[in-house]
Amino acid sequence: MDSVANRVLLIPCSGIGKVHGLIAREGVLRAVEQAFGGEVQTMCLPLLVVGDEEARRLVAQHPVITVDGCPKLCAYKNTELAGGKIARSLRVLDVLKEHKGAQPGTATTLSDEGWKVVDALSSELMGEVQALTGSGEVA
Amino acid sequence: MAETELKVGIISCSGEDVPEGTISRLATRRVLELLRPGQTVTLCLPLFLAGGEGERAFARDFPTITVDGCSKQCARRGTEMHSGPVSAALVITELLPEGHRGSGRVSTRATDGSDEAAVQEVARVIAEQVDAILASPPHPPTGESAAASSCGCGCGTSLPVGAIEVGGQSVTIPGLPLMLQQCAQEGVMAEAADAAERLVQVVGIYHPIPDHERSGYARALLAAYRDFLESRRT
Repeated sequence: MDSVANRVLLIPCSGIGKVHGLIAREGVLRAVEQAFGGEVQTMCLPLLVVGDEEARRLVAQHPVITVDGCPKLCAYKNTELAGGKIARSLRVLDVLKEHKGAQPGTATTLSDEGWKVVDALSSELMGEVQALTGSGEVA
Repeated sequence: MAETELKVGIISCSGEDVPEGTISRLATRRVLELLRPGQTVTLCLPLFLAGGEGERAFARDFPTITVDGCSKQCARRGTEMHSGPVSAALVITELLPEGHRGSGRVSTRATDGSDEAAVQEVARVIAEQVDAILASPPHPPTGESAAASSCGCGCGTSLPVGAIEVGGQSVTIPGLPLMLQQCAQEGVMAEAADAAERLVQVVGIYHPIPDHERSGYARALLAAYRDFLESRRT
């Protein structure tokens, strides 16, 4: 995971209580799947919750984009508490604003509308990754 | 939640880097929704650090089962580190033999029969553990997390709850104070012409607002927002 090619870490909250956490999770997975050249990678947020040394080292050394579902901002706060280098912070809330009236599904299963939101989120993530890798912010 | 009502907490790792994290998540959801609804609650694992004392009291007040995808056991370790000892700790890689852990995909977009079988088996084991705990309850939840678990969605998340009056009826909105806080951080001015519409937009993402009640919600949310801003000043 810590190869030169895997430069930007995408960390979703993956919250289990509401659909927003599932959208965050799937949006990141989609972005990782779509990324060419392996410029992005995800890691389990719970590793930071337990203070895993390797995980802490990774978030300190690589630019991180956090993706949060609800206003509690768990991905952002846990990454920050672990000493992470947060380059961008996205919120599902903001992506949903562009899909007014959408019924995205539940914390277990996404509807077709939910998957459209996921695709929009992953596109936004890839745009952020490209901005980071193209701007010289990534060492 | 009634003070004497015992519920079992289930904390899933939901790890997004391994397929077993998806199995832990889906099996936990299945128990919450289908197998033991009303008897179980959950909490997002990262909330132990990002949340407050209410979240950290979770395992002290609810007998808790952790469900981990891999041997790192982040759910068990995180719960014990930040909240309290757990009643049972399940690990997918120990529960299911290799070759029986689903398709190997992490996304729920294209799950297949093998994923379903894995989720079903893990959910069955979790439900067994729930039954065993409920058969000999150690104590009912009486602490801060029990009082805070009032968002009404069954997730166990202790979101602060707000209430407004719409059309003469009291409406409870989980997380309302956080939404108002978000608007304040965005610089929404209560006096602005579009303030009410902005509040309806933000709240409407989390709380369904019927079209015919939008104007009622707009008035009530604007009043609540004014109160919120005023309370921050005093």
